[in-house]
Amino acid sequence: MRLIGRRLALYSVTAWVAISVNFILPHLMPGDPIQTLIGKIQGQVTPQEIEAIRLSFGGGLDKPLLTQYFTYLSQLLHGNLGVSITLSQPVTTILKQSVPWTLGLIGISTILSFIIGTVCGALLGWTRGSRLDSLIPTATFFQAIPYFFLATVMLLVFGSDLHLFPVLGAYSQNLHPGWTWAFAASAVRYAELPVVSIVLSSIAGWMLGMRNMMITVVAEDFVLMAVAMGLPKRKVIMAAARNAVLPSIANLSLAIGLVVSGALLVELVFNYPGVGDLLLNAVQNEDYPLIQGIFLVITLAVLAANLLADLVYLGLDPRTRTETAT
Amino acid sequence: MSTESIEASGVVTSANVTSDVSVVTTTHTDQRTGGPAMGQRILDIRNFSVDYGWGEGAVRAVNNVDLHLNRSTVLGIAGESGSGKSTLVYGFTRLLRAPGVIAGGEALFNLQSEDGTDIIVDLVTASEKELRKVRWSNISVVLQSALSALNPVLRVGTQFEQVLKTHRRDMSKADRRARTVELLALVGLNEDRLRRYPHELSGGQRQRVMIALALALDPQLVIMDEPTTALDVVTQREIISKLFELRSRFGFAMIFITHDLSLLVELADEIVVMYAGEIVERASAQALYDTPRHPYTLGLLNSFPPMHGVRTELTGIPGSPPDLAQLPTGCNFNPRCPYAMERCLKESPSLADLGEDGRSVACWLHSGDAGVVVPVELRRTGKGKREPAPMPVKRDVS
Repeated sequence: MRLIGRRLALYSVTAWVAISVNFILPHLMPGDPIQTLIGKIQGQVTPQEIEAIRLSFGGGLDKPLLTQYFTYLSQLLHGNLGVSITLSQPVTTILKQSVPWTLGLIGISTILSFIIGTVCGALLGWTRGSRLDSLIPTATFFQAIPYFFLATVMLLVFGSDLHLFPVLGAYSQNLHPGWTWAFAASAVRYAELPVVSIVLSSIAGWMLGMRNMMITVVAEDFVLMAVAMGLPKRKVIMAAARNAVLPSIANLSLAIGLVVSGALLVELVFNYPGVGDLLLNAVQNEDYPLIQGIFLVITLAVLAANLLADLVYLGLDPRTRTETAT
Repeated sequence: MSTESIEASGVVTSANVTSDVSVVTTTHTDQRTGGPAMGQRILDIRNFSVDYGWGEGAVRAVNNVDLHLNRSTVLGIAGESGSGKSTLVYGFTRLLRAPGVIAGGEALFNLQSEDGTDIIVDLVTASEKELRKVRWSNISVVLQSALSALNPVLRVGTQFEQVLKTHRRDMSKADRRARTVELLALVGLNEDRLRRYPHELSGGQRQRVMIALALALDPQLVIMDEPTTALDVVTQREIISKLFELRSRFGFAMIFITHDLSLLVELADEIVVMYAGEIVERASAQALYDTPRHPYTLGLLNSFPPMHGVRTELTGIPGSPPDLAQLPTGCNFNPRCPYAMERCLKESPSLADLGEDGRSVACWLHSGDAGVVVPVELRRTGKGKREPAPMPVKRDVS
């Protein structure tokens, strides 16, 4: 489809801009990251060591900016993001270890929250004014509490005191990471509490949004017509929900984009080995290659999520398909 | 048609109804006068009332309306916005949205089975399941704006598919498609429209799709709620003539709601005029146009240019529709009526038979009381066309 091609082109341009900004940012920062680093290293630093650090930054800091830029791009295409200063490992290796945890935990929670919230919201909107409406203040309550507080309380009560859920980490320390059932089960078990906390704290938004949209849509003529046509109730609700869900889909793309960056608090509280945890350490230690790598991942994740949501939207709302035909 | 048993069970099959059905009710519920056979009764609404809201704050939007409709006839309902014409129709089809509630009455609908026996359903007491069966296969609805009446995210073909699939379980996919193409052809649309979405069609095309959809299951009654109001005049003409071509071909009955009385005069067999939730005048279309009896009808007629004939000055009706929560004492129309008498301020007139070919009117001017002089423009002239007569200016009665 031509439309999809167009979106893809648009997104690749955006990605390129993001990558370029990502490259330039450290150069715009006051001071020289290398000097900062050398300053942090206590004691004597030999010229060889300084040179080694320079090289670890991609090399050739003395070359013109444009040349550096192209080197950066070509390294990027080869999947080389440099070496982390603090962890002394290639950034790609580090990211490979942490990104799946974050994507898994926060991604699944966001989608769960979206699905449960939207379904609840649709039903609430349909049965407006019924006793079910008391769900709303309950959900809003959990969203109103600061997340770190909610998460900490849950961790203390359900994890430490009641021992209902395992705490700290993403899997049992007795197991070696790998594709085994035991490990997978352990990972799921450890993810339960964080997932519940995230869903609890974010569900109100989805629920309220969907409910309000549903109330608007239910008042539309085509829903009345669906009733007049004698369609079964299930189909009438579906007709309304199908239209009401569209704004929520747009919001979902934004929410997915925030998954990686929003992971920070969750991973701190639950001591989860994801990108948020990594980013915090990287920033504290001024580990520029790692920061750059994480930013890149965040940017690309946001773009990919947006692209996905765009495509889903195109599929769900035929009216968006004609808009670009100019 | 025994009313009691109908109320009790919702559905009643009565075999010996033929003699009863040929009797035509002229005015009130059970006051049946013998008359010429006018075809079979399809809908009989009695003492029907609709409220908006409950308890103290309830507002009566439709008040004790009696209405009946015979097979294959066109009934027009006219009135200003807020007169209750749409509420009446959504009320008896049970399509009212909250806070609208049916406050009383019955709406007997005659579903004729294939072997010709009558099956009477009281739509007011029918269960959801019974209603679903009646809906669309017997009564279909066309709304004012077809853009909002068609589901925006479904293709035109899918919407036909949905209806046929729900009501005609035995139809194969190919049959359903063939039927849809046939229906589109009926309203003059090519089958390539099937793949289109509603927003890709013009206003006229959408309304055609809506009409085709309404006819999908060969209903006995099609309700048109201002079907042409949102269209331009040319398209309006096309749609109306298409509609009537289809009606004469398939013989469904129609209830046509509009505030455009001059349009109704051309289309309808019979017209009822509603004001503040009540029927104020009922007459055959021509009679209503030639000799309006209610001052409000006269005002409505003077508000629209006639489709054909001489130009007249449009006068309209002074004032605005009443607040249903604070109706005046006496006749609802008295604050706007230039002919209001003392009696009109105290007593509310009820719909009374005029004794001329099923005409009835709710107005004290026609009570036959001594001393009441019926104004010339509301008098029975007996000779053809109404002279364009402007309404006099409202004067104060005290």
